[in-house]
Formats: sequence, C-alpha cells, structure tokens
Amino acid sequence: MVTLTRRFTAAIAVGAVLLAGCTTIPRDPDGTLDRVRATGVLRAGASPGGDLVEVDGDAVSGAEVDLVEGFAASVPARVEWRAGGEEELVAALERGELDIIAGGLTDQSPWADRVALTRPYAAGHVLAVPMGENATLFALESWLDARRP
Amino acid sequence: MTFGDTALPPAQRDALRRAKRLEWIGLAYLATCVVVVFAVMGSSQAMKVAWVEDLLSLVPPIVFLVSARLAGRPPSPTHPYGHHRAIGSAHLASAVALFGMGAFLVVDSASGLLAGDHPPIGTYHLFGQTIWAGWPMIAAMVYTGVGPVILGHLKKPLSETLHDKVLFADAEMNSADWRTAGAAIVGILGIGIGWWWADAVAALLIAASIVRDGVQGIGNALRDLMDGEARTHDDQATHPLVNAVLTAARGPAWVGEAGVRVRDQGHLLHAEVFVVPVAPVEVADVEALAATIRDLDWKLHDVVVVPVTRVPGAVRTTPAAS
Repeated sequence: MVTLTRRFTAAIAVGAVLLAGCTTIPRDPDGTLDRVRATGVLRAGASPGGDLVEVDGDAVSGAEVDLVEGFAASVPARVEWRAGGEEELVAALERGELDIIAGGLTDQSPWADRVALTRPYAAGHVLAVPMGENATLFALESWLDARRP
Repeated sequence: MTFGDTALPPAQRDALRRAKRLEWIGLAYLATCVVVVFAVMGSSQAMKVAWVEDLLSLVPPIVFLVSARLAGRPPSPTHPYGHHRAIGSAHLASAVALFGMGAFLVVDSASGLLAGDHPPIGTYHLFGQTIWAGWPMIAAMVYTGVGPVILGHLKKPLSETLHDKVLFADAEMNSADWRTAGAAIVGILGIGIGWWWADAVAALLIAASIVRDGVQGIGNALRDLMDGEARTHDDQATHPLVNAVLTAARGPAWVGEAGVRVRDQGHLLHAEVFVVPVAPVEVADVEALAATIRDLDWKLHDVVVVPVTRVPGAVRTTPAAS
C-alpha cells in the first residue's frame, strides 16, 4: 500500500512537471485559440443587446463590440462579425462556427449550461465562448482583467 | 465508561476516549474541506464528486459518536440485549447512504461523459494576476487529501482495540481519500491539457469507489444484523474468540461434547454454549464454566451455558479455520 501510494504520488509529480514543461495550461480541447492565432480571424456573433451591442444591417457597434475588437487585436486577429438572434448564435457557437458571442449577456444568462460565460467584466455583463475552450476563456478573461482600472 | 453494563478495561477506555477525540477533530477538518472544495469546484464533475464524498465522509464519524453513546445505555427488561445493535444499524444506514449517493454520481458522471460535456474552467483575478481556476482546485484537493490519510492511520488500530466496525469503516474511507484527491487532480490536469473527458473519467472512478465502499459496508453490516458468526473488526476472518470459547467449553472434565454459537452485537459478543455432561453436574459448575468463558475477554459480556443431552445442529463444534 505504501509503495503504491508513493508510486502514485511520484507519477502525479512527474506528470505535473512534464505538463508544465511541455505545454501551457490550460489548452483548448478543440483548439479555438490556436486556430484564431493561425488564421488571424476571430469569428464573433453579435446579438442586439441594449446599447452594448447594436446591429444595423451589416454594421455592428456598441461597448461590447469594441471589447471583442480589442481582444481580437491582442491575439492578434481581425473580427468577422455575424449578426443574429441569441438562440441562433448559441447554436452556431455549439457547432463550432463561432468563437465568441457579444449580446449584452449577464451572469444570470439561461445559456450558461450551453456556453462558457466569462467572469463579469463590469456590472454583471459577460461574453460567451464555446464550452470547455479553456485557453480561449483564459486569454479573454486575462485581457478583460488587464484593462480594468 | 461502559458499553451497556460491561465496564471497559483501561486499554479500551483509553482507546474510546482517543477515538472520540479523533472523530471530533476529523469532523472539524472535514467541515473545512467541504467549504474549501465547494468554494473552488466550479464546473468540474470530478470536483463535484469529491465534494459529495467529503460530505458523505461526515456521516461515519457522526454515526460513531451517536452509536457509542447509545451503546453505553444499560440493558433493561424491554431491551434485554442492551443497545449494542445501534452500531450495526448505524453501520447499515451509512453504507446505504454511500451506495445510493455513489450510484447517483456514477450515472451523473457517465451521462456527462456520454453527452460529451466539455467542462469550462475559467480564471480568478487575484492580487492583480489572472490565474487559471484549475490551480486552486488542485491546491484544495491536496489539502483534503492529506489530512484524512493521517486520521485514518490513527483510527484503524483503535477500531481493533474497541472491536468497532463503524470506526473501522470510517478509518478505511479516510485512508482511501488520497485516491479521490489524486484522481480529481489528474482529472483537472487533464482538462488543463485539453482532454475534456479526463474530468468525467476521474469523476466516474471516484463515484465507483464510493459505490464499492457502500456495497462492502452493506454486506458486512447485514451479516452482523442477521446474526452471522462473529468476525474480526475488519470482517476478514472468523473472530479468534469463537475458537477460544469452544476450547474453554471443552475444558472441564464433566463436559463431553460441546458446541458454541457466537454472534456480534456491536463491540460485544453474545455466546451460547451447549455442553453434553458426561458426569452429574451442579448449577454451580455450569455457572463456573460461564464465568471462565466470560473472563476470556472483555468483549464476551453475555455468555449462556446450556447443559443438553445432544448438541443442536448448525452450531460450531469444530474450530474455525484461522
């Protein structure tokens, strides 16, 4: 039993060192962030949400649109916008057709079990990325934190 | 300190006092684990299952403290065997709780795995740094994994001294806790390197171990409640006192054939000894034999010696294999 415990502990320790050495944690299971970096394109969904996201034909504007543009610039990448209703965009995000959604969502959003919401960047407002794409979530939240006053 | 009307020898009195203290310390420690793990568990299924296990491991210490108190009540005409069965009943109740919760968690984790749930793990903003939430989870698992192993190591010898199966089951669960913590850590590191399924697989492993604890506990508790022959505190073998009682019963010159049945009432054993006299016996001889057997061990609190013309079937007449 003692040897087993030691072996197990050793395996965890070795594994942790290997992991920390070879790669960065966390990574995306579906490689969203790597792809955005490689292609230089962030595919974003915009759903009208108060004055945070305004959609007028093909033109999108508002504070959250600026946030997504700012984050994309930090990757660096340019943004390809797609406008639509929340449900349509959430489904597209789940199918892997979008990388991020700006829609005036809050941390009380009913979509929370289908998309990964960020921590609120201000007053309960959040952005959404694909479920489990933790490197993307990490990069986005880090960027949102860095621009806090 | 007593178990019913049985006064405890100094070693047992001391063990009981230390066991009670350890259980209180364990409860306080586990309560902090429950709070810490809940605070950091996020969307990780493995962390959720580990949290439920922490919650469940509060049950055996409480059961031990309550049943030790109940077992101390003296027997009376309405409870002629005392209250020792409190241990077995409590043992069964906690085993059923483990089994039920474990089964639920197996289904819960497996359905997440089959549905392909990708657990999102975000970040914390601490001291101006953005850190991945997986790291605090791992720290919490290290915290909850270390303490119980030490507690289990300290409780186990006491469970043998006291012949207390609830304490033993509790010590076993504590000793195995590092595996829960280890599995959860591997699951979280797995998510970290992009293996979304690692979390659910770790959760399944932990849940399966809870089910196994439950099934074993139910089997052991039922054996005692169904008046199976007394076994050691870890249920590994027939209790050596069974053979000792049989040997003692054959001791006196007036005893021809002898048979015994010994059952575990929880801490204490109840022995019925059937002897076929080969010479005229006095009541005093029978009582003297009962007293000799009682003096073998503090656990033999209730010993009945019955002179018979024939030893009844299905009692132990030959020593049990050790």
